Amino acid sequence: MAQDNIIQVENLVKIYPGDVKALSGIDFNVGRGEFFGFLGPNGAGKSTTIKILSTLLKKTSGRVSVAGFDLEESSSSMKVRRTIGFAMQEVGLDDLSSGRDFLVMQGLLYKLGRREASKRAEELLELVGLTDVAGRKVGTYSGGMRRRIDLAGALVHRPEVLFLDEPTTGLDPQSRLAIWDHLNELHSQGTTILLTTQMMDEADQLCQRLAIIDNGLIVAEGSPETLKDEMGDDVVRISLGSPSDGIHEKAQSLVNAQSYVTGSAVDEEGLVIDVRDGDASAPALLKLLIENEIEVARWAVSRPTLDDVFLKHTGRTIRADSADGDAYDQTFRQSMGVGRQR
Amino acid sequence: MGGIISETFFIYRRNLKTWIGVPANVIAPLFISALLFILFGSMFERTISLGGFGTEDYKAFLVAWIIVQVVVFSGTDSGFALLMDIMSGYFDKLLLAPINRFSILFGTLMVSGTRALLQSLVIVGLALAVGVRFETGVLGILAMLALAVVFGLVWSCMGIMIALKTRNAQVTQTAGLLFFPFIFLTTAFMPEDQLSGWFKVAVKINPVTYVMEAMRVMTLDGWDWPTILTGVWVAGVMLAVLLAATTWMYRRQTA
Repeated sequence: MAQDNIIQVENLVKIYPGDVKALSGIDFNVGRGEFFGFLGPNGAGKSTTIKILSTLLKKTSGRVSVAGFDLEESSSSMKVRRTIGFAMQEVGLDDLSSGRDFLVMQGLLYKLGRREASKRAEELLELVGLTDVAGRKVGTYSGGMRRRIDLAGALVHRPEVLFLDEPTTGLDPQSRLAIWDHLNELHSQGTTILLTTQMMDEADQLCQRLAIIDNGLIVAEGSPETLKDEMGDDVVRISLGSPSDGIHEKAQSLVNAQSYVTGSAVDEEGLVIDVRDGDASAPALLKLLIENEIEVARWAVSRPTLDDVFLKHTGRTIRADSADGDAYDQTFRQSMGVGRQR
Repeated sequence: MGGIISETFFIYRRNLKTWIGVPANVIAPLFISALLFILFGSMFERTISLGGFGTEDYKAFLVAWIIVQVVVFSGTDSGFALLMDIMSGYFDKLLLAPINRFSILFGTLMVSGTRALLQSLVIVGLALAVGVRFETGVLGILAMLALAVVFGLVWSCMGIMIALKTRNAQVTQTAGLLFFPFIFLTTAFMPEDQLSGWFKVAVKINPVTYVMEAMRVMTLDGWDWPTILTGVWVAGVMLAVLLAATTWMYRRQTA
């Protein structure tokens, strides 16, 4: 097991000065080559965790090993730093230097040597599509370009493990997709990736495995699919055409008699039916109603989302209390909008 | 260990670019210094008749103070530059790199030294241009520049400690106000013989006075070793103490 896990964390606790408990004992492992996500709201402890793993912060207690180096030993942090790359949320950029100079400097700091650093800078500029603006000062870059140059800066030394702290928070959808593409590409080349996010769809689409973190504790862990499957049934909503007295009750008793239906209710919109395997059940339900001369106006199938998972484990929805701007809020609302309401 | 030298150099070069990259950083202190030099030089020109100045040229009397005030005030610049990197997160980026973390501090201090050297050099050039004669010649000028660099480092350590302690850009910048008494409670405009009362006592307690007097005798009198060595000793001891304190504070915050 030790060989497969590139990151091992046991009972990690972090208490900031002033007795502020950021992490109350978390355990998790990340396998070599895995795409792992930390999902949680602001202040949940995501950034604290990632900063401890990357040697920027000291833990209070617990055991942490990265790439086989136990952070307890003082000689480890230098070895860990050679192995990892860290792209931070919008920060850590040198605004007064050009994109190219920023990358060359990163190369020099990672001991590439002058010639290799220049060569690597050009490769990375090409990779993240910033060759055209390489001579411009980083301070003039747009949000999406900043994330990309930041990502490139974290890759100069071809790290085995890549840490990303909210890599797309605040970005417009197009820029987010560009970053996602880069991350998927890196992952397919064998890089282990650990990212934090407060966006459900990001966690859902990118990560092979997730830890949902809240108030310094991991409240759930597993693949997005497993987590959602644990939530149970899909929901089919059906609005009836020309509703008349008793029609809903009639429809309800019809659907309740089906083996794949596990429950149903009527609300102002129409029928809300809990089913196993919504995609297969919905056509059967529609056919049933139509055969019984009940007119169907609209229908929709929804599966549990990570929002529901989060709600179940924390008792509340993930909140957008960050002031990260409209793009974020919009994305957030969109992701909430497709969620299932109960 | 060999790595730290090249690492310090990389960071020095990057920090130097950051400083020079904003021309206002470079020009503003020099402009103020030139202004003080011309204004005070003209305003107090005739006080020379009071005697005890050791020269008939008030501007020559003023040179040492102009150099001292510019390197002292620039002390906050080093703290501010470091703080900007801390706030932008670039400092974290440097901490993440597999380098000796002291190279970041040393690279910052080397820029402070370079800044003090350039600023003093410009003032010496300005003084020469308005006809000030340096009694100790070229060697004396080099010695004054060296002393200015050491003293500049002293106040940069001060600025860096304030920045590390407060982590606040405004406080760090306005902390320069704390340097005012040190700069003005000296034999800035009048020789010691013309001072009296509490002011004279304060001037004699203020270490800045001794460093400035060392530069002043090199300008006006020649190689007056007791005065020069006192100034060198004061600056050296201050540097040793503050460098140790800064390093200690830095280690505590980054290790």
